Amino acid sequence: MGGDVKKDFKLIIDNEDLDSMPAADAGIKDELQRWPLFGLSVGSFLQVIAMERQTCIMEVYLSANYWGHFCFVEGELYDAVYGDLNGETAAMEMISWENVRLNIKQILNTSGVVRKIDKNLMLLLMESSRRHDEGQENGDHPDRADVDDLEDMEVIASDVERAKLGACLNIMSKDMDDALIAASIANINEGKVMASYHSVPETAEAFLRLTKYMKNAFSANTTDNLGDHFILDLKDQQTLVVLIIGEHQWCIVFNNAKCTLGLLRNIIMPKVIKTFNEMSIG
Amino acid sequence: MNIQKLNACMDILKKDLGEGFVGSCILTTEDGQVLVATDQANIAEATLLNDATAFIRNALKTYPAELGQYYYVDVAGNMAVLVIPFGDYQWTITINKKLVKLGLLLNVVLPAIINAFEDAVVS
Repeated sequence: MGGDVKKDFKLIIDNEDLDSMPAADAGIKDELQRWPLFGLSVGSFLQVIAMERQTCIMEVYLSANYWGHFCFVEGELYDAVYGDLNGETAAMEMISWENVRLNIKQILNTSGVVRKIDKNLMLLLMESSRRHDEGQENGDHPDRADVDDLEDMEVIASDVERAKLGACLNIMSKDMDDALIAASIANINEGKVMASYHSVPETAEAFLRLTKYMKNAFSANTTDNLGDHFILDLKDQQTLVVLIIGEHQWCIVFNNAKCTLGLLRNIIMPKVIKTFNEMSIG
Repeated sequence: MNIQKLNACMDILKKDLGEGFVGSCILTTEDGQVLVATDQANIAEATLLNDATAFIRNALKTYPAELGQYYYVDVAGNMAVLVIPFGDYQWTITINKKLVKLGLLLNVVLPAIINAFEDAVVS
């Protein structure tokens, strides 16, 4: 894998290193604070890189014997290397790692980068999730110290679901470009925001409460039940669409001068919902 | 407020929506009392949506954003409700969504009835 590397962004898993950093390193400290990513899985970080359409090498360190890297070009996963493995095989090994340390290097020149992974990142994540589930059913125990109890398994499952939801938002952001202002997907029953794009969690949570209020109010006071969406016209040429799909609620805020409601409802959302359903989320 | 013009607003609505029109009412936001309502208007629903508007305005403060001219609520089955908050008043319109195209409702009917209502209020 070639390519010129510009600079490093040291990512931290906890804040200890950041807090103890000398004042002289204020510049680096600021840079670290630009990456407030800790406590996530490799899968989650991959989603962030893909969503941000980064061209970079993402180095992953789990322990002395478990480390490797992923190579992205404009958010597309081109290659992965882990020990003697590379391409899809290496990626599949590393995707399910938890509690990793990361180092991200930007690539200036991609002319030497050879694409060895053709599969969509989402498919790799799903395949990893499937293998993980199969491993559990067969009583296999992964050779990793951090994945050894049920709680950790639930964390991974939750992260994979978040990654899938993040991929849906990624598709939407690509189709809508700068018309998409903010979006979030929340689990209605759990009242939790699962994925977001430039969204304020408080807003998503407030609209979860609104949906619950409307559902209860409709069923208690009228003969009708709330349907599967509502549309809010907002000031400053913005529109908010709330979609209720199964146990998930989507909040989408977009600039209605750049993307019409008709385009969102008839072209973009069917495509995103198709992907959402194909992933069998929830 | 000109009551005759207010009733005329309802007539415009019925005419524009045709068979897709189900019912409509205009109420005061302060106390939720109905000013004008058609025969098939769902008063309970309109009152509930008056409270929902306040809820929405509060929810949007966290974003922050402000509610614009309308909001549209899909109802299970064939119905949908268009809500137009006018400050002191709120207009609720129930339609048969199978018979009224959303584009027609938002781009043609809505601007016409907003103008008619504002005319009725200032008269």
